[in-house]
Amino acid sequence: MKRTLRSVPFTLLFFVLPMMAFAQGTVSGVVTDANNLPLPGATVVVKGTSNGVSTDFDGNYSITVASFPATLQFSSLGYATKEIEVSSASTVDVSLEESATGLEEVVITGLATSVKRSNAANAVATVSAAELAEVTPPQTLDGALSGKVVGTLINSNSGSPGGGFSVRLRGLTSIFGNNQPLYIVDGVYISNISVASSGLNAVSAAAGGGNASSQDNATNRIADLNPNDIASVEILKGASGAAIYGSRGAAGVIIITTKKGKQGKTKVNFSQTIGFNQIIRAQGVRNFTEDNVGAADLAAFIAARDSGNLVDYEDEIFGNEGFISNTSLSLSGGNDKTSFYAGFSREGEDGIVQNTGIDRSNIRLNIDHRFNDNIKIGLSSNYINSSADRGFFNNDNSGTTIGVALTATRPWDNLFPDANGNFPDHPNNASNPLQTIALMTNNERVNRFIIGGNLDATLFRTDNQSLKFVGRAGTDFFSQVATVIFPQELQFQRIDQGGVNGVSAVTTTNNRNANYAGFLVHNYRTENNLSFTTQVGLTNEQFSQNTVGVITTDLIGSQTNIDQGANNTTNQFRLEQEDFGFFAQEEFNYQDKILATIGIRGDKSTNNGDANEFFYYPKGSLAVNLHNFDFWNGDSFLNRLKPRFAYGEAGTFAVFGSLFTLLNSTLIDGSVGVVAPGTRGNPAIQPERNRELELGFDAGFFNDRLGLTFTYYNKEADDFLINAQVPGSSGFVATQRNGGSFRNRGLEISLNANIYDKEDFSWGATFNWFRNRSEVTRLDVPTFNLGGFGNSLGQFQIEEGQSVTQIVGTTGPGTPVTQLGDTEPDFQLTWQNDLRYKDFTLSFLWHWKQGGDNINLTQLLSDFGGTSADFDDFDFDPNINNGTFRINNGLFAGNAAPFVEDASYLRLREVGLKYSIPSETLENWFGDAVDNIGIGVSGRNLINIFDYNSYDPEVSNFGGNGLSQGVEVTPFPSSKRFLFTVSAQF
Amino acid sequence: MMKKIIKLKGAIALLAVMTFISCDLEDADSLNGLSADAISSNLSRAELSQAVAGILSDMRVGLATQIDVQSIFGREYYFFTGSDPRFEADVVTANLDNNTFYTTTPWNARYANVRNINTVLEGLANTTADFSTAEIAGIRGFLNTMIAHEFLMLHNNQFSNGIRLDVADFDNLGPFLNETEALTAIFNLLDQAATDLAGAGDAFPFTLSSGFSGFDTPSGFLQFNRGLTARVEAYRENYPNVLALLGDSFMDMTGDLTTGVFHTFSLTGADLANPLFIALNQAAIVRVAHSSYIDDALPGDTRLGKVVLRDMPVDFSDLIGTHDVFIYQSNVDNVPIMRNEELILLAAEANMMSNPAAAVSAINVIRNAAGLADYAGGMTAAELEDEILFQRRYSLFGESHRWIDTRRFGRLAELPNDRATDNVPMAVPVPFNENQ
Repeated sequence: MKRTLRSVPFTLLFFVLPMMAFAQGTVSGVVTDANNLPLPGATVVVKGTSNGVSTDFDGNYSITVASFPATLQFSSLGYATKEIEVSSASTVDVSLEESATGLEEVVITGLATSVKRSNAANAVATVSAAELAEVTPPQTLDGALSGKVVGTLINSNSGSPGGGFSVRLRGLTSIFGNNQPLYIVDGVYISNISVASSGLNAVSAAAGGGNASSQDNATNRIADLNPNDIASVEILKGASGAAIYGSRGAAGVIIITTKKGKQGKTKVNFSQTIGFNQIIRAQGVRNFTEDNVGAADLAAFIAARDSGNLVDYEDEIFGNEGFISNTSLSLSGGNDKTSFYAGFSREGEDGIVQNTGIDRSNIRLNIDHRFNDNIKIGLSSNYINSSADRGFFNNDNSGTTIGVALTATRPWDNLFPDANGNFPDHPNNASNPLQTIALMTNNERVNRFIIGGNLDATLFRTDNQSLKFVGRAGTDFFSQVATVIFPQELQFQRIDQGGVNGVSAVTTTNNRNANYAGFLVHNYRTENNLSFTTQVGLTNEQFSQNTVGVITTDLIGSQTNIDQGANNTTNQFRLEQEDFGFFAQEEFNYQDKILATIGIRGDKSTNNGDANEFFYYPKGSLAVNLHNFDFWNGDSFLNRLKPRFAYGEAGTFAVFGSLFTLLNSTLIDGSVGVVAPGTRGNPAIQPERNRELELGFDAGFFNDRLGLTFTYYNKEADDFLINAQVPGSSGFVATQRNGGSFRNRGLEISLNANIYDKEDFSWGATFNWFRNRSEVTRLDVPTFNLGGFGNSLGQFQIEEGQSVTQIVGTTGPGTPVTQLGDTEPDFQLTWQNDLRYKDFTLSFLWHWKQGGDNINLTQLLSDFGGTSADFDDFDFDPNINNGTFRINNGLFAGNAAPFVEDASYLRLREVGLKYSIPSETLENWFGDAVDNIGIGVSGRNLINIFDYNSYDPEVSNFGGNGLSQGVEVTPFPSSKRFLFTVSAQF
Repeated sequence: MMKKIIKLKGAIALLAVMTFISCDLEDADSLNGLSADAISSNLSRAELSQAVAGILSDMRVGLATQIDVQSIFGREYYFFTGSDPRFEADVVTANLDNNTFYTTTPWNARYANVRNINTVLEGLANTTADFSTAEIAGIRGFLNTMIAHEFLMLHNNQFSNGIRLDVADFDNLGPFLNETEALTAIFNLLDQAATDLAGAGDAFPFTLSSGFSGFDTPSGFLQFNRGLTARVEAYRENYPNVLALLGDSFMDMTGDLTTGVFHTFSLTGADLANPLFIALNQAAIVRVAHSSYIDDALPGDTRLGKVVLRDMPVDFSDLIGTHDVFIYQSNVDNVPIMRNEELILLAAEANMMSNPAAAVSAINVIRNAAGLADYAGGMTAAELEDEILFQRRYSLFGESHRWIDTRRFGRLAELPNDRATDNVPMAVPVPFNENQ
């Protein structure tokens, strides 16, 4: 790789013949915005040529024009482009209007190029800084995207502070491979892995039962990014847009651009948010009376009732209000050569469960420097330090998680500590949840550096062509230390209770991603305004992970170091992968009327059986701006219409290690042993391939007051990777293979309206409606189940002709397995509103998810504990109460139907009201010192309407892991947030 | 102009391709463990010891599920866990799912160990190490005895639903054999192993765990093999052969009843803890004796010491437990694979029709050891069968025998059902993934 970066530009110089330019005249002037403030960095181009300049710090430009008359195009990011005809060397001052429609913003369509949205052939979704984080401060980036991107299903897996989200773009991409999008921040491939903490499963034994996956919902590391630093997020939802990312693009790509400095006075932005969170919906306590308390507990119940000691333990555990404080400070500015953005932030949020919470500090420095008109470099760097205390929730097989313990806790059980702080044992469970909360530790601490650099060098430029070299390098390194401590005084750790006298575990992960790329981009424009953009490039990505976990039991006193105990168990996981790819793309633009692209990416990787075998991912697209043709009636109510078509292919790698059948190590009586693993490797495994066809149109009505985007897609996942279950009698449980095809088809409709726009009052609204349907079209292995707890409790089933995400189960003794639901929503609808009245702005976002089912087992466990709030209601049968029904007619009868529940919801995702102090007032108060002061109140998930019988239909016991979203087993409940923000700009 | 551009583009493309081709990637290494081929392609001495330790270790995987489920079927005890209600539902009602843990965990665990053993057998066939003929016979005799044991465990669960025995080639699995064929095949494996063990010299070229103490030489291990074969022959009702086999086994009418072969446990590293240990008086996770175990006991039977009266009874879905099962007193206690007590009871069983007096004297060894007086009941085969099954129930409590014993004597219907919904199954279903 290094060789390429060094040698290509120099070699190219031999091919470059200097072109003589004949100066015919110079046009100069000042470019300003609507408020008459100079616009530095605006671009001035002689239309039909690649002759262009940028304005300086004061908005001044001066351009040499070869022949008059000529048309000058003035553009600047975020402003509507203006064209002015000049007939001679003269002074032309131009004022640019801010773009209202977003049509002028650029979207990335190649690895080194971008086009204006109005010329894009893909439905690329973009979320701006304002939409992302300004209505109400979000906790994590992925959470902040919820409801804002058409075609996505973003699910919060856990309410535990620090995140835990899964993002599905246009349905499920892969069943066993990665199905989370690739995240790229300023050109750096960043890691979004979650690393399970050793020690949690050792106590919960969650993986020991019916489902062998870790169920403790570790944070996915995209949560480290600070949403406030982000300038824009661009989402390539499927292979047609993401083919340029080849083997890593199938699940879509989320391209994040962080804020950059602008030329001009140094701006200081400060904001402080404080607030609190609280549980979205408590389930309540069963109404216990002498009639429904069992004989064994009757005396205890009466005694507690009569002494007023019946306790609402749900409120005791989840009823806290967590304090939230976000402080952020940013400085940005620059001169005509160098600009910078520096951001500092500190976020703290306590969870609704005591001793949980997150602290996160972020430092960012972005620098852009222009050596001369031809060479630019940029550097972005980010350091993150975060610490999250996540509690102990979800499934267990030992009665130890806080969630499971709560299901067994009755109001008359006394769990409170005595005057000396000693907790009593739980009379009805293996653990006392109040003691667990008070004494256990489950902490993830992360130190992370993300650094990216790019070089943009124009090698030559003439009137009608230019060649530039783009080089990019980046690395994302983090070290995560997870600490899990269960001290020996915990009920379930005491020897007399069969415990192991304390558990302390440390899991250390060092993860490094590095990526390098070099591109050559050639622009050529013919005289009749047909332009060609050619790019070729090479990419290299390296991934390395090393996780070491040590679990110590039988601790010495209160010591927690892992050498301070009798027994150590260690584990290590390593991952090393290197990918190498090339990329070539040709873009055609005929007078902004016809836009076409063809391209191909080739990839090879050490993760494939043959590390040097290429996998090719082609793409092609076509868009026609009908409104730019002469025949279009410019006065029509339909002022803009662009049909578009895009096709592309992208891949998903097999899970690392799929190639090998590796023996596991074991120990007996002091002798180390080797044993066969559950999964048999497959040296012939290949990446799975997604083929996506996207069709649609963009239309503008009434001079773009109303915009409509309509997209249909058909995404085929071919040779999809399966961890195919094999007959257990082979000695293996599963093998890796490429085993079939499935498809996702969907519709995405987006309507944005500028309903009212006057000086004092404006109202803009966006409706997004989208749906996705999937079907397994070919299955090379027999129908198989995965991802739940068996047929009598509901699980997922991959079956030819059926939805990929169907939930199946039995409905009675000996009944066949039938479809009971599907996690795929019928549709989703979001409604974003932005209202402004004078200095007040009000924004709110409604999110309606209709349909989609969950497997709710929290309810069932509560029934078994006799504690479910609706135990004595009669929803299923007029004669059998719910608790008894779910047990006797549900579980005991092998009927999973009562556990599959509709997980529809309607939420007020975000609402924010902001007041900006008028500038005249500020001038009176502070003179010129302060540019802007805003005060806002906001909230997230303030209104939640759902029928679902638990804390929140957005939940996942298995995290973002594969298919198994929407299974609920006593999670950390989600919370709503109330926030107050003061911000100032100097 | 156009020509130049085409030339230029061609040059760029050429450069890119040249650079690209020169960048080779190396095939990946298996970073996280030993590849399975290492053993099957050529077994070395060092690998042999580790593979044997792996086999002994894997015998314990899934043990709790296997024993708990069989003990619930046999109404010896209930296992309740607040975290998985199916132990008080499916397993007790016999409404068994062919694709969940109580079906698949024991099946997969036993066959995984069969895979371990077959891998070593394949490695032994391909070995270039300097094993002597006697050593090879010893290894083979050991491995075939262990594989037969794993098949017998599978047979116990699957019974009339059958098991596969020919599973060495994982891509071409052999047919399902019914219970008669399976037992015959298991018997043949054990007999073949006995022949190998007899010619295996004085020592194995590997070490066994302390659970095999006294049985860790070819001749000692052969005694275990003969005991196991006697159990198989009793299941097949070949009683004369049972007696012959017991003579070559470690049966000792006057010896310690707990002499035998055991699974061992520890808390060190990747070792396993005894999964059958639960401290007394737990609330959420309990093993409680079926009430009939206490109700039916004879006065003074010391075997009642295997259960302990709880401070508070537990009630899980109307199944009530008053006594904790307390066979194992710590999480590192050994779990028996086969004990002298079972062999003596097998001797009684083998004699009950042909030699009632010998049967009674064996029964009395057991009764006396439990603090009971000599047997004073009738001497018919049927009466002796009742007595032997009764003694087996108390002597082998919680060791996965009663369900199998009542099944082979056609007495499953005699097992008590505490709720109207409850039933005792005949066999565990064939796992869904076997595609039967």
